[in-house]
Amino acid sequence: MTDATTAFPDRRARNVMWAYITTGIAIFGLMVLVGLGMRAEQAQWLNYGPGLFYSLMTLHGAGMITSMVLCGMGGLWYLMNRERAMDPGIAWTAYAFMTIGVVCVIASVWPGGFGASWTFLYPLPFVGATWPSWATGAFLIGLALIMFGWTVWCTQLLGCVLRAYGGLRGATGWDLVFHHARFEASGKAEPPPYAFAALVTAVDGLLAAAGGMLVGIALIVHWLYPGVAIDPLWAKNLTYFFGHTFANLTIYMAIGLVYYALPKYADREWHTSAVLAVAWWGTLLFVAIAYFHHLYMDFAQPQAVQYVGEVASYLAAFPPAVVTIFGGALLVYRSRLRWTMGSMFMYAGLIGWLIGGIGALIDATVPINVSLHNTLWVPAHFHTYLLEGVALFILGWVFWNLETHSGLTSSLRTRWLTGAGIFGGGGILLLGWYVAGADSVPRRYAAEPAPGPDIAAWASIGAVILVIGLIICCVEAIRLAKSPRTETNP
Amino acid sequence: MNSHSAAILVGFLLCAGAILIAMCLIASTTHDTTEPQSVVQPKGYRLRRGWLWALAAVAIVAFGISLAGFPYGKPAEADGPHFKVFAYQYGFQMPPRIPVNTAVVFDVTSRDVNHGFGIYDPTNHLMSQVQAMPGYVNHLAVTFTAKGHYTVRCLEYCGIAHAAMQEGFDVQ
Repeated sequence: MTDATTAFPDRRARNVMWAYITTGIAIFGLMVLVGLGMRAEQAQWLNYGPGLFYSLMTLHGAGMITSMVLCGMGGLWYLMNRERAMDPGIAWTAYAFMTIGVVCVIASVWPGGFGASWTFLYPLPFVGATWPSWATGAFLIGLALIMFGWTVWCTQLLGCVLRAYGGLRGATGWDLVFHHARFEASGKAEPPPYAFAALVTAVDGLLAAAGGMLVGIALIVHWLYPGVAIDPLWAKNLTYFFGHTFANLTIYMAIGLVYYALPKYADREWHTSAVLAVAWWGTLLFVAIAYFHHLYMDFAQPQAVQYVGEVASYLAAFPPAVVTIFGGALLVYRSRLRWTMGSMFMYAGLIGWLIGGIGALIDATVPINVSLHNTLWVPAHFHTYLLEGVALFILGWVFWNLETHSGLTSSLRTRWLTGAGIFGGGGILLLGWYVAGADSVPRRYAAEPAPGPDIAAWASIGAVILVIGLIICCVEAIRLAKSPRTETNP
Repeated sequence: MNSHSAAILVGFLLCAGAILIAMCLIASTTHDTTEPQSVVQPKGYRLRRGWLWALAAVAIVAFGISLAGFPYGKPAEADGPHFKVFAYQYGFQMPPRIPVNTAVVFDVTSRDVNHGFGIYDPTNHLMSQVQAMPGYVNHLAVTFTAKGHYTVRCLEYCGIAHAAMQEGFDVQ
């Protein structure tokens, strides 16, 4: 394996990438333990009470999404920097804002005790609070700083994409789709698939940031001047527009890394086609408007947007299912794919994305949502594509770099142990949420009604197995990182 | 778990299992005779067209069927009495008795933060729900076809005693 690091000799760019990814993975590891602690409380293995539970829940939600976003940012920035060099100073500025924001959020929870959930639905942060006022401010300011860093990064990425491919027309593949013969004759190269991921992330990311900043600033104003009232439905729409889009983009950032690395393992090409370009146009639109499904049970919403929510949720599934995941499977089919930790994680991530997507589509169907909304079915499906999708893509990318860097691969035994822990333990953990959700157990309960605690107990066993798998994975990553570089690599 | 929920769960698990088996079979072909991408790709693209149309058909049928179950227009069609429901940290103010086999409408609002008004039937299954939001009234139409004691649970995180926020009523 000689490709990745020889192709990317820029040490400064690598430093940017690893700073984002190692920070993201450190937060991810911490949040996994927090999540295990929450499930153990629901299983009645622990008994630390609802105050701490809801603080941890708030930290877990905000922290987990931020961790995956940071990892995706590092990887995607690194890849796009190859297409058109970017100023690392701007990326470091974004990183600084985001890490300071993370510190503020952590401080709001500990020692602050803030516990209004990452959704901070107005007016919850201010009514019936069991935490001091400064903790609410620290949380809101922390989120604003994260959003500001994200905005800086998205803006730089968008500039890179537009400059690299001749503006929006080139970056969207417009001529590739509508003037194919002329485009072929021009001799221009189409943007690589990961450039579409970068474009959609940057555009939808900026829209999400605008929504998040708007509601965040409104809440900060209310925090400073409690007499300023906010419309709860307006705040809820903006919160979910921001939250859904921000969280959803993690998988579209991470798939950009898979677009690059999986073909290297398979010794094939993942080229840009007109179909792929159109699929990403769809993603650009549907990711931004699917959030309405979070408000299905708000009957005060205009009815039209409830229909839009279901249609957009269904349509959002088409680009991944028909183009990206299908394309990934086709890339692997009868190829000379080398099964390593990296390729195993990336391929397994495609499976997790698809299965989690089906769970999400079921919940996005309004009449079914009536009996699943805010039950444990919700964490079931989003953990499926976050834990067994996004996180695996990120781990795959990390191992792709480590394997390339060291020229080594992991033993079959290590791969089996890791796979058994992460897929086996993860599967048990996820199944617990699906079964409990179908059985109407509510989500976000520190103490669940029956049969919640019994299901949480065996789900917690799955979580422990998952943690063991992640520890093995971590030890293996450190082993590869510490091994001497191969001669072919700088 | 009632038959409706069991069907959803089993349907999901069957889909997940089919995906898992299909993807494992695809992965196993890397140990078989390999083929160049130029040979595999055209065949794959033909299959993809079929996959696209199959998914589109499923989506269209699912959307069509789901329309009948949308709850938004039902309160206007309901000819039964309206009952006011006030949610607050951490309880519900609502009538203790509801008539059976009558299309009743709950007019649900909140006195403080966002709450959820989730109705659990006597077998502890979530049968219907709506959000309770300050400043807005959400109208939920429900017809109870079985007598018994029903439980209302908050289904929107509302603070430290969220999990303890519940109320009951009898359908008779």
